[in-house]
Formats: sequence, structure tokens, C-alpha cells
Amino acid sequence: MNYSLRHTTRYHYSAPVTLCHSEARVLPRKTLHQRCGASELTISPIPQMQAERRDVFGNRVLYFAMEEVHQTLDVTVVTPINTQPVGPLPAISAAWEQIAEQLRADNRFDMQLYRLDSPFIRRNEELATFARSCFTPGRPLLESALALNQLIYETFEYDPSFTTLATPLSDVLTNRRGVCQDFAHVAIGALRSLGLPARYISGYLETQPPPGQPRLIGADASHAWLATWIPEWGWLALDPTNGTVAGEQHPVLAWGRDYADVAPLKGVMNGGGEHQLEVEVDVIPLTTDTAEPSS
Amino acid sequence: MTAPVSPSLIELGTAGLVEDYLNQLGKGQPGTFDALLDRQGQLRLGWQSLLGALEALGSNGRFQQHEEIQRLLAENGVIFNMHDDTHGRAWRLDPLPWVIDQAQWQTLEMGLAQRSRLLNALYNDIYGARTLFDAGLLPTQAILASSHFLLPCHSSQPTDRPAINFHGVDVIQDAAGQWRVFGDRLQAPSGTGFALENRILMARALPEMYRNAPLKRLAGFLDNYHRTLTALAYQHRDNPNVVLLTPGPGSPRYFEHAYLANYLNIDLAEGQDMVVRDGQLWLRTLGGLQPVDVVLRHCDDAYCDPLELRGDSQLGVPGLLQAARSSGVAMSNALGVGVLELPELADYLPALCEHLLGEPLLLANADGNTRPSTAPVFDHKMQRLTPSTLNLRCFVSRTPGSVNTLGQQPNDYHVMPGGLAWVGAPGSSSLSSPVVKDVWVTANTPQPHVSQLRQARGPVVATRDGTDLPSRVAESLFWLGRYGERLDSRARLLREALMRLMEYDQDDIADQLLDELLLALDITTLNNAGENTRPLLVGFAQKRTALLAQFGKSEPQALQPLFAQLLRNARSVRDHLGDDSWRVVHQLRQRVDMLNPSVSASAARRACEGLSAQLAAFFGLCNETMPHHYGWRFMDIGRFLDRVLGLLSLLKLTLNAPHSPGLALWEVVLATTDNFTAYRRRYRSELHPEAILDLLLFDETNPRSVGYMLKRLERQMDKLPGSSSPYRNAERRLLIQANAALHLADIDRISHLADTPEAQEALEQLLDDLITPLNALSDAISHSHFSHIERPRQLVSMEPDE
Repeated sequence: MNYSLRHTTRYHYSAPVTLCHSEARVLPRKTLHQRCGASELTISPIPQMQAERRDVFGNRVLYFAMEEVHQTLDVTVVTPINTQPVGPLPAISAAWEQIAEQLRADNRFDMQLYRLDSPFIRRNEELATFARSCFTPGRPLLESALALNQLIYETFEYDPSFTTLATPLSDVLTNRRGVCQDFAHVAIGALRSLGLPARYISGYLETQPPPGQPRLIGADASHAWLATWIPEWGWLALDPTNGTVAGEQHPVLAWGRDYADVAPLKGVMNGGGEHQLEVEVDVIPLTTDTAEPSS
Repeated sequence: MTAPVSPSLIELGTAGLVEDYLNQLGKGQPGTFDALLDRQGQLRLGWQSLLGALEALGSNGRFQQHEEIQRLLAENGVIFNMHDDTHGRAWRLDPLPWVIDQAQWQTLEMGLAQRSRLLNALYNDIYGARTLFDAGLLPTQAILASSHFLLPCHSSQPTDRPAINFHGVDVIQDAAGQWRVFGDRLQAPSGTGFALENRILMARALPEMYRNAPLKRLAGFLDNYHRTLTALAYQHRDNPNVVLLTPGPGSPRYFEHAYLANYLNIDLAEGQDMVVRDGQLWLRTLGGLQPVDVVLRHCDDAYCDPLELRGDSQLGVPGLLQAARSSGVAMSNALGVGVLELPELADYLPALCEHLLGEPLLLANADGNTRPSTAPVFDHKMQRLTPSTLNLRCFVSRTPGSVNTLGQQPNDYHVMPGGLAWVGAPGSSSLSSPVVKDVWVTANTPQPHVSQLRQARGPVVATRDGTDLPSRVAESLFWLGRYGERLDSRARLLREALMRLMEYDQDDIADQLLDELLLALDITTLNNAGENTRPLLVGFAQKRTALLAQFGKSEPQALQPLFAQLLRNARSVRDHLGDDSWRVVHQLRQRVDMLNPSVSASAARRACEGLSAQLAAFFGLCNETMPHHYGWRFMDIGRFLDRVLGLLSLLKLTLNAPHSPGLALWEVVLATTDNFTAYRRRYRSELHPEAILDLLLFDETNPRSVGYMLKRLERQMDKLPGSSSPYRNAERRLLIQANAALHLADIDRISHLADTPEAQEALEQLLDDLITPLNALSDAISHSHFSHIERPRQLVSMEPDE
């Protein structure tokens, strides 16, 4: 699929900000199934300092600093992107315990990075118990992981009013409600509590307008899902919010251990008082002949 | 077996100390390595003359030496230890140093230098290519689980600067005499200041022993370290600005930070004193932002940058990691080094050393089975030497010449010839140790004494104007002046009140005066604290209790809380005040610590007098020793602003005295402002309010008069920097307003004070016309000179459940 992604983050402050250092993860990364064209980045007001780097997860990080007094901050990125479908899932996979056991002694950095605790996700027995309803003894890993994805999809209620960034994972699990980010966190926590690696993926999801109505600009949303490691196959991306395997319709922005690693915009500022946040996201599907990403 | 004889009863022979020690060793575990005696019971190299000298002193002589050392230690402790709740290090410094001969030392030295090279190479891989994890050479899970492993530090250290420039290593000597490592200190390697202090104290307390000993000196090492720091700079390489980043006076290590900054002659800065702009680090000073080229970091990794590291940290500078990443500032050590302190690495080091350096690891780590050797330590009476376990913290620094070279060379690091030794179980904390020792590394030849003042190498850059003074320091000096003055004026008022209390019931006027003074002191009955009206205290006992409560801790305006404010401000500018001034602060502190509400009135009065005298000594010393640049001016402005406000409010109170004790109260005014003698000399007569007013308001030759104080404020403010600031106008206008009120006062009208109510009104008007602008002046000065930085805040709080 070809998309044009537009992502705007806008802050309005009640008092002037005199200095602000920020870090944005809004430039989509290249993946095995995704190619990105050159992003068109607009920051307003124009920052005095700007630098791009890759973080330890391979995400593109944009550092910028506003050193003059300002009262709004607007970061808009437009990126043409091409996504490819995920290849066929492996026909067979080993029992999950066997893989967990192998990974326990695995010294590879990229494997252990996603197996241990992270800022928002601590492994615990409660999560392990939840996971074991799908990860029954001897069940193949792939089948178990898909079942977990389905379980969250079917038994958790999507409820944006219930959670905030600060809601503990245990509350989400107990009340079985939350948003995509919470569902991804629950699934990751469940997998890690069994000794399996799982990473958090931030990205987008194309939404379909109701039949007969035009697309509304800015109506799409950021999305989040997760991926777990299937040996000899790769990272399998699961979207528990929709109960699907994430693929062509899931353009990827960044990944990390949990939300804290991939927050779209972080900053430390002087002044500012109260602030209001607006986020606008558009995932505009393109026909192949209107746009082809340059790389 | 005979009953043990107390050693104090027998005079030990010439070899008594050693014989006695040998006997004790025999009872221990034979075969265990001892620092003093070899297996044949013979003295090891280097101890002979030292022991001879200590032996010759006799136990009384040694005890005197010990007391001298402790006195110096305590004094240093108060001079440098800024922590509120501790009274310095609890340890004593043993008069017998730990002597390590050159051969033993070289083994250790080579091992330490290798370890620094190893850890530096390890840092580069862990935060760089990360090949060692996948090669199975590192405990991947332990590292990932460690809170000291900081993912944002991944490839943040520019390759043209070493990650490790300073390394503290804790070692012990095991039962076989082998050096074994207990731990590494890299984030904020402390202890150098203590090692230096111990050496300086030994040299002062035992000058003969120290001068004659062929021991390696420490100054050269620190001199080199300073050059290393300088060499790290990316810009201003001729004269880079190096600062020591401290968490502030709240840190238990602040002692060392102040001591070290002082010794290395670099600025002591807190995170809030600095800001990142244009990808560089800057120090906020009175003269604006000054670039900072190198940070000597004594703040833990995770707290250094709330943007990328711990978001809840108030100690760091937002954007610091990015500034380091983009070579806007050089860090010593690099952020993220804390992961190298992980104890789990110990087992991996031998293989890592082979892999990274192609050498066998020279120094093995200690483990649970490591048995320590013994070393002699004097008992607390200085009578016997007892075999004890010693820990040693060694210090390694990058050599100045190797800072800009890539790759690693065997001589990239060098070791301080000495260190901090403390008594305690292997691996125990130094700060909780009862006894510390100086460490003497013997040299084959006498060593030259290196002066603390380094030989200049670059051009001399004079900063005589003081615009490079951090704004926070200026602010603290201003408040130091204000609190000092407030403490003084309260002590004087209390003294007068206590004198009246002691004469209570003998004279009506004295009794009424006491009431006025209680009013001036703003003292109410304890039961009516919540009410607006301040009912007068009734009866001697009540008044006495209320007055003496000012010597306790609960009243906010009591002497101790005021002193605590003074001390807080003084501490944060420690490196701007002279040592002698600090001794006075120490004495003041001792005096204030002894105050309590159960003292007698006469003792309390004496305490007040002592307090005033010591405050005068403190400010006098400051005037004599501080360069008269901006910092001093702010302190002076603080003092005189508080003093003039205190005098004006006292005059106003006198004017409105409800109990009208008449002239007697004016006498008190003269006494509290220390003008009684001046008045007598000038007027040689009875008290006339008019004459007193002239002396206290208009006489510009009298340093206690309002006229003089306004002149002084004006003179100081004229010389402050930043005359272009819009706030400066406000500041000047307020002072002109006060000056005008004073100069335009109708003296004739006021001079009939005793007779007419109009005169009283006119005086009251004048006092108000002075008080209003002067009250506003303090705020105006703050706005114009002190950066009122709001604490930086997070855009989005990313602090999950802890």
C-alpha cells in the first residue's frame, strides 16, 4: 500500500515559554516491510537547534530547541510511505515453553532488551496467569500468541475515558478496559512474564470513513500494537485492539520496550504554565500512480 | 597465663609498640600477610623511621598529636561539610600512615591503569557497537536490568574524547598480600578530597615526619588531572572554562565538591546555574551567559539531564546529553559509565581483558572467600597498635597527553600515589568508617614538594570585574548579608530585653521598656499565636519564657532558625568565602548550637553579645579578604538594606510606643544600634530625641545612620553590572526616592518632637517615605540581577509507577 502520512502535534501554552528542549519521534523508520520517502518536516516556530539521530532501537529521533519566547509549538510531518504485506506465517512453531527456555540463556542484546522489565511494564505473576489461559502447556508459540491477541480483542473494552498515561497496567488488566496503548502493554507484559520477548510498536492505522461519506482530515489516529519473536521467522506484529496480525494497513513509526521509549514528543521547558495538546493524524491511501516513494 | 597488664601502666620499651603488635598478630591467624611485619616478624621497608618517631613521642605525645589532628579535622569538617544533619565525618585520622613500598605499589599501579583502560574500552563497546553482548562476553540480562545502564547514552560519547578520565577503585590486600578489587567508582568518584585532606593534615600535624619521609607527593597527580580536564575542551582550548557539577549543598558529598573545586581552582556549579543553548552549555552569571567547556561531573549519570534521562531530576541540565553528543561540552566522565560499576561484571573481566586489550587481567576481583590482610592502627588512646582490616580507594586519571588520541595505549592512565584508606570490613563504606589513614607510597629518592598553585601554562586571563560570578552565588551572598544583619539586630534587641528582664520589678520604667522591646521583637504570648492583636505578656515568668523561647528552635524569628538561613546561604557560596571567614562561621555555629530556652537570662545575654561580636568578625573578615567585586557588593547591599530597614522600623516603633517610657526608650535605640557612645561623645549631655534623630537619620559620618547607609547603598549599586537592564531604572528610582525623602525632610518641624504632635506626624511620614521604597528595593534588585529561573518542567510527564 502507498500512503501519505501526516502527523501534527500542537501545544498551546497559557504562559510564554522561554526555552524548550524537545525530542520527537515522528519520522517513520524503515522496516523489512516498509519503505519511507523523504519526510517533509515543519516545526513552528523555527527551532534554533535541530539534529537527527538514531536511538538504540534504531528509531529516528529529532532533537530541537526553541530558544526564543513562544506560546505555541507545532510539529508537522508529512511522509510518503510504502508498505508491503507480511509474508505467510510459519506452518509450524515449537512449544512456547521450549522457546522461552532457549531465550533464557540467549545472550543477544536485541533479544534480552525486549524480554526484561521496562519503564511502564513490570513482569509479574498476575500477568503470567493471564497469559497462561492462552499459553497452555506444550501449545505452539505462534498459536498461543495469536490466541492471546484474540483474547484481549474479545474481552477488553475500548474505553478512552478509563485510562491515562499514568494508569498502572494492573488496573487495565483488572478492569479489562483501556486504549490501544494499554492493550499493547498488557500483551507485552503477559508475554514477558512468561519469559518471551515482546516490543511495543507505535504507528498508524488507516480508518475507513462511513459508507458514502468523504474522509475527514485529521480524523485518523496514532495507533499502537506489539510484536513478539518467532524463532527462525522473525518479529510477528499483533494488534490486540483489532484482533489482527498487523501488516500492510499498519504503517510503522517507531518501536521500543514500551510507550516511554517511543513517545512522539517529549520536552523540558521553562515557563509555559498550563498547556493544551492537539494531535492530528491523517493516513491517506494513495493509488500507485499518484505517488511512489522515492526510496 | 598472666592477667593482662594495662599498657598505660607500663612504659613500653623502644621496640614496645612493634613487640606488642607482633604478640597480637601471633594470636590471630599466622601466615596472614601483614602490612607492617613480614613472616619473620621483621619490619617491612619504609616503616622504620616513621615508627621510631611515633615511638619517641610516647603515648602522651601521640595523644597530643592525635588531638591536634582531630582539631584540624573537625575544623575542616565544618569549613567544608555543608550537610545540615551531619556534623562532618565521624572518623578519626590515624597518626600512623599506611606505608606501601615502591615494589608493592608498582604491582597495584599497573593493575589499576590496566583496569581503567579496560573499562574505557568496555564503555565504547557497550554504548557503541555492542559486539560483546552477542559474543557472550557480557552478562546481557544483568546489564539490561541495571538502572545504571542508560539506553539514551547509546553512541552519545564523541569518539575523539575518552569516556573515562577519572576512575576510583576500591581495593584490599588479601591474606596472601595480593591486591584484590572490590569495586569501581566512575559516575562521581569521591574520596580524592578526603585523601588530599588527610595528607595536608598529616603534614601540618606531623611536619617533621612528613618532611623527611621519601614519599610520593599527591599534588603532581591533581595538577595533571587539571591539565587532563583542560585538554578535554573542544573550544577555548587556551583557557577553557571547567566547572564541577555538584548536586548542591544537600548532597552528603558536598564537602568534597567544595574542597576539590577549591583545590583545582574551578567553579562549583549546580544544575540550575547552567543552561543549554545553541547546543552548548552555559553558566548563568551576572555578566550574562558564559560558555562552559568541560564538566567535571559529581552528579550521578541518571540525574544529569531531565530531557533524556530521569525526567524527575532537579539536579541536571535539560539538553546536557545532546550537548555532549554534539561536542558542545566535554564530560568527565561520560554519561552512562555507571553501568561499568556493576558487580556482575567481575567474573567477565578476565576474558574481556584478553579480548579487548590482548593482555591477561592483572588485578583480580575480590570475592566472598577473600580473606583480608592486616595492618597496624593505633587504638583510640594512641597506646597500642592493633591489627586491623584496611580498605583502600585508589584514583586513576587519564594522562593529559592521551586525551586526544584514538585507540588505547599502555600509558593512557596514571595512578595517584596514595589514596584514601579506611578501617572496616572489606568493601564497607568509607563514610561510615571510624578510622581513616593517609597512604604513603615510598619513593627511592626524596620527592620535591609541589606547590598547590600550579605553574601557569597558558596566558593569564584576569577576571577582575567579577561579571563571571554565577547569578545564584550573587543571590546567596545578598541573602547572606541580609540574614547576617537580621541576626545581629535581633541579638542586640534580645540583649537589651534580657537586661531589662534581669532588673525586673525594680523600676517601673525598666518594666515598661521590656514591654516595648517585646513588641519590637514581635513576641506574643504563646497561647495567642493565631490572633492578630498581640496581647501583652503579663508577669515576669511569662515574659521570661517568651524571651528565652527565642533561644530555641520553634520560633521562626528565633536566633537558631535565622542562623540556619544564614548558614544555608553561606554554604552555597562556600568557594567564594575565605577560610578564615569560615572559621568564624564554624565558631558561630558552635555558639548557636549551644543555645537553648533553658539557659539563664544572664547566660543568654552573654550569648547575644558573643553572637554580635562574631557576626562583626565574620563580615569584617569578608570585607578584608574578599575581592571587592560584584559578589562582595551584593553582600554589602544585603547587609545595609536590612540594617536600614531594621533601624527605620525600630524608630517607628519608638515613635508610637504605647507605653510612652519617653527618653528611656530612645536610650535603648541608641544601645541596640551601638550608638550610645557616639551620642555621649558628641553631645555630652542628657538625651534629646532631636539629637538622637540627627545622629541616627541625617549624620552621614555615622555608619549607623540612615543617611550613611543610603549613601553606601547608592555607591554599591552604581557599580553593579548591567546598567542597560530595564529593571535598573526601577532600582535606581527607589533609591533616589528614599534619598529625596531624607534630604527634603523638614528638620525644623521634626526637631520639636517632644513637644508637638505635628512633629511626630512629620517624623512618621518621613519614616514611611523611607520604608516604602527601601522595602521595594530588595525585589527590584532581585529582578534585575538574580535569574529567577523557573524550574524546567516536563512537557509530558513520563514517570510511570515507581
